[in-house]
Order: sequence, then C-alpha cells, then structure tokens
Amino acid sequence: MIVNADVFVKDMPGQLVGSLEPISLVNGNIVGVVHNRDNKISGRIGVNITFEVGSAEDLERLKEIWEKRDVMISRMSSVTETFPTDCLLIGDISPSQIDKLMAKAAKAIDMRSVDIRYSSKTGEEKSAAMVSVSVRSKEDVLKFNAFMMSACKRSNITYIGSVR
Amino acid sequence: MMRIIIAGFGTVGQGLAETLHKKSNLLSSGHDPVRIVAAFDSKSFAIDTDGLDPMGLVTRKANTGSVGTKKLIDGTDVLDSVEYDVLIEASPTNIETGGAGLRHIEHALSRGKDVITVNKGPLALKFKELSRLAEKNKSSILYEGTVGGAMPIINLCRENLQGERVRSIRGIFNGTCNFILSRMDNGSPFEQTLKEAQQLGYAETDPRYDIEGIDTACKVVILANSIFKRNVKFSDVSITGITSVSTEAIALANDHDMVIRLIGEVSDTVLDVSPRLIPKGHPLSVSGTLNTAQILTDLAGPITISGKGAGRIETASAILSDLMTLMGRRR
Ligand SMILES: NC(=O)c1ccc[n+]([C@@H]2O[C@H](COP(=O)([O-])OP(=O)(O)OC[C@H]3O[C@@H](n4cnc5c(N)ncnc54)[C@H](OP(=O)(O)O)[C@@H]3O)[C@@H](O)[C@H]2O)c1
Repeated sequence: MIVNADVFVKDMPGQLVGSLEPISLVNGNIVGVVHNRDNKISGRIGVNITFEVGSAEDLERLKEIWEKRDVMISRMSSVTETFPTDCLLIGDISPSQIDKLMAKAAKAIDMRSVDIRYSSKTGEEKSAAMVSVSVRSKEDVLKFNAFMMSACKRSNITYIGSVR
Repeated sequence: MMRIIIAGFGTVGQGLAETLHKKSNLLSSGHDPVRIVAAFDSKSFAIDTDGLDPMGLVTRKANTGSVGTKKLIDGTDVLDSVEYDVLIEASPTNIETGGAGLRHIEHALSRGKDVITVNKGPLALKFKELSRLAEKNKSSILYEGTVGGAMPIINLCRENLQGERVRSIRGIFNGTCNFILSRMDNGSPFEQTLKEAQQLGYAETDPRYDIEGIDTACKVVILANSIFKRNVKFSDVSITGITSVSTEAIALANDHDMVIRLIGEVSDTVLDVSPRLIPKGHPLSVSGTLNTAQILTDLAGPITISGKGAGRIETASAILSDLMTLMGRRR
C-alpha cells in the first residue's frame, strides 16, 4: 500500500534520517520526501513522506518504531492498497528489451511502481533480471503474471513467477 | 491371511521386505497375517504359497543379485502361477509406455486383485483407465507412496480432509531438485551441485527425470486425478525444469529475500511444474531433500505437511499404510 504521512521530528542532526530509516526496516520503499523547515512547531520540523509498505501489519510496525524514536505522526492519509508481485527472468536479455516489455505491460495493466534489477553478468551464465511491480488489484497481479509468462515464452526466456 | 506379491526388488522392494520383517508383530496381531507368496525382479522370481522369509529374500538379493532362483520370462507369468490378494508394484517408472509395471497392474486389476503401487508411470499415463478397471473388477488401486514418499498427502486429503474443498495443492515433490537448489543458495554452481547430489546418491546417473521436472509432473498428475477428480495425463502438465536456474538468478532472488524452489501446483484449473520465487520463511522455502506441500482448503485454510519424499524405508512406510487400509476394508 502507498501511504502519505506528515510527521514531526526534532530539529537536530540525524533526526530526519532517523525517521526515514524505519521504513526500510519494515521492508518499505520511500517514494518521496518533502522536508519543510518553515513548518516548525515547538522545536520540531515537519516532513511529508510518501512510502510503500507490503501490508497493514508492516504499517503498524512502522508506527510503533516511530513512536519509540519520538517521531510524531500528525497525519496519515491517501492510503491506497497496492499488490506487489515479483518475477525473475533468465536468458539472453538486455535492459532495452525489458524496458520495451514493461512499456507494453504498462499499456495493459495499471502499475503503481516498477523496479528492475539486473544480475552482474559473469562468465558463461545467462543474464537474469528481477522485475518487482505493484499493481492495483489481485486480478492485475494475475494479469501481469500471465502477460510476462507468455511474453517470455515467445522470446525463449525462462520465467520464474512467485508464490506469496 | 493377506497374500502379497512384490514386483520389483530394488531399493523399495527390499525396504518393504525389511519393514514387513520389522513389523511382523503388528501385521499378524489382530489383523490378517501378511504373507509374501512371490517376489520378482528383472531376471528372477521366487514363489512359496506358505510364505517367503522377507529377510531371506533380502539376503539372497544381496549375495546373488537375484531375488529368486528361477528365471523370469514375464512378470505376468508369476502373477498367474500363484494365488494372491495384493500386488505391490515397485518396478522402475517408465513415463513413455508405462513399462512392465503397467502390464503388471492391468493384469492384477483385471483379475480382481488389489494393487498398491509406488511406480508413478502407470498412473501418470493411465489413471482413469486403471481406476475404471479396478472399479469394474471390484478391486482397489492404492498409491500413497507415489507422491511425497512418507508424507501422507493423498490419504490426508481423501480421508482427514473429507469435508473440505481442497482449492489447490502446491509443493516441493522432488528431493533431488530441492537439494540442488538449496545448495545453490550458498553460491554453488548447478553442475557442481548436481555432481554432489549424484555422489550422495540423491540423484540418478541420468538425472533428467528429476531436474527436468518429469518426476514432479507425474506426481502433479496423480494429485490432479485423485484429489481434484480431474481427468488429466502427463502430457497435459506445463513443465519447466531447473536446468536454466543460474547462481546469478539465485543471488538476485536472495537480494530480495527470496529463494527459488521447484514447485508442483495443481487445482481445478492449474497443472504446473516450474521453478518459483518463494519468500524466505514461507513454508515452501525449506532446504535439503525434504518434500513439503501446502494444501489450501476452504474451511481450514492452508495446511502444510512435510516429510521424507524418498528412501527405502520411508517409501515402505507409505506401502504399509496402504496395506493396512486394504486390511481394514477386508474386515
Ligand atoms: N527409491 C525411492 O525412494 C522411491 C520413492 C517413491 C517411489 N519410487 C518408485 O518405486 C519404484 C522402484 O524404485 P526403486 O528405487 O526401488 O528402483 P530400483 O532400485 O531401480 O529397483 C527396481 C527393481 O525393479 C526390478 N525390475 C526391473 N525391470 C523389471 C521387470 N520388467 N519386472 C519386474 N521387476 C523389474 C529391478 O530388477 P533388478 O534388481 O534385477 O535390476 C529392481 O529390482 C520406481 O517406480 C520408483 O519411481 C521409488
């Protein structure tokens, strides 16, 4: 799910980082950070953070960590649920080929975020790419997987889907 | 009395003989005593209507390479030459024709004999035909040992989960592939790990049957037909083996806190064998040679079972469970 939050941290060195770090502790991704020094209340400065977490439980854990670290949450909203899915591709693949494939996928499926990591190619082995996307619904997860599977089959790429 | 014939006296056949010897008290007290009236391997056979000594058969096989002293022409001749109640089929799996095992099973069922098979080939090719043949001749065919070895998946679904609707089953059904993939988690390359598996006796000299997903596909077909009442054959399964899984791919998965495992999946609409990404900590992320299955049911939710998927005594344990089922039916 994608969450937008206004938090207030103490205006001291290291506090901003201290408020962002817990997001990765709960395996979340930071989408954007707006740090507004003018928005200051009793020695604290406001930070607007947009981030993605895997589940409501992760969000609860994040809130607990923030509380312990004295990060005040003043607002949390625009919570959109997203459904993450990953697949791994193995074969003679190039980044440009994957980019084209993802552009095609984006036309058919509403994707909220896309992350692609490539293996560092060593020796004789075929390249590998991990494609992680977030989509709007469970149906879109199935649609995305079916799309990738048939595209890989056509291009002789091994498709490894995920079990959640 | 329960008179049995053991067809195939290799790893499993011998494991069964040892198990029957070990459990002789259990099998004779309160139940019909079990008597081995014949046993045969690829070249020889032994017959005794008064019962063969299980350990005597094992010793002769070890000393001479043959289970019997008489020359075998065809297994069905042995089946015709002695009165028996149950055929235990443990000859090699043949996924092209069903091999001798298919002929043995058809022969026994068509004469009203019960069959317990650990040989997957005949079921992966002709499940419906064999079930119909059994029904027509009022006999039974049981096959717990064909899927997951000692892991009691078929009986669990058919008996203990009777009131449930099983939505899907997905699992690790091949210990060799799981051994290879879990060794690769630590950076060992595929070829080297395969050699190691062969040296440890986990993989056959010709490992294609395991690593190309054929063995898992046979099991998925058996689950589809028996648990989901589908009418499918080996050729209906979409199969991807593990040969293209590279250490780089595994490292990428690891960066995302995931592992790669060969998963067999079956439901009313799915019939698939392929390597899959599994989050670390998920019940299907297990390492080593264990088999694990996750059964998704409508009422109880997910149920996970795990056990040794192969091995002489483990497979014999599954045969024993089927044997006890047949005994229960006779009472
Ligand atoms: N091993 C396991 O852990 C395991 C687990 C589950 C299921 N299974 C299945 O159980 C079956 C047996 O496996 P295994 O490991 O025991 O194999 P194995 O050690 O190779 O033994 C096969 C046995 O079958 C005999 N045989 C070969 N051709 C025959 C024929 N035409 N008629 C009668 N017997 C014949 C062989 O004779 P010789 O001794 O003369 O060669 C041998 O005794 C296979 O179908 C396998 O897929 C095995």
